[in-house]
Amino acid sequence: MKYILLMTGTRGGVDTYRAWSKQDIDSHMAALQSLNKELKNSGEFVATQGLAGPDEAKLIRGEKNGAPVTDGVFPESKEFLLGYWIVDVANPERAYAIAGRISTAPGPGGVPTNMPIEVRRFAEHAPRES
Amino acid sequence: MKFILMMSAPKENWDSFAKWSKEDFERNAAFMRAFSQELRDSGTFVASEGLAWPNEARVVRARSDGEPITDGVFPESKEFLGGYWIIDVEGPEQAYRIAALVSAAPGSGGKPGNIPIEVRQVLSAFSDPGL
Repeated sequence: MKYILLMTGTRGGVDTYRAWSKQDIDSHMAALQSLNKELKNSGEFVATQGLAGPDEAKLIRGEKNGAPVTDGVFPESKEFLLGYWIVDVANPERAYAIAGRISTAPGPGGVPTNMPIEVRRFAEHAPRES
Repeated sequence: MKFILMMSAPKENWDSFAKWSKEDFERNAAFMRAFSQELRDSGTFVASEGLAWPNEARVVRARSDGEPITDGVFPESKEFLGGYWIIDVEGPEQAYRIAALVSAAPGSGGKPGNIPIEVRQVLSAFSDPGL
């Protein structure tokens, strides 16, 4: 079963993250990379990506003539996707356990961020990666 | 440049979607299949997935001993990701044009859904997951 683990945050949360010390960012990234390696070794790893910051985010609708209407204004409470992991696991509990691991990645001073990770299953009928 | 096009909606929109006729569903699905095929033909397609319904969504935090705590209660305003496309294009303008095409996907009764599509750049610096 494939699941996507979504890490999201508000603009305020991203600003706080950007103020972390280099050491804090390095240990955070090291913990996540170590998890990636474990997932690769267990055969559960499918993909991971980080997204550019919320300041670059745009919302698009199509006009009648098909031209894009671009909007870059979001409510302050808007949860922006920061990055994701796609995992192929035996059951939802395993997806929750991996999400829990991501949630324990260290933040400032090495204290776990305890950040919420949204876990969603892929629909079976969806088109797959090429 | 790689971009992700995300289709999200609050729970109430998913509830309306669940009430679409079979014909509406099929028309929408046919549009989405044709759209993905166009992306493949033009060489911009990287990946696409549709997600299971929001009632299966869980938010997970770690307990102090590392055990996951799962929660399935979300605020009413919560936007649930429904599906996404990752495309590899020349620049943001091309990504916006492609997003506008998805926005016009037919909704109930065959009218363009005019759904908002969030466009975000995928960072190439993170494409190596440290493996």
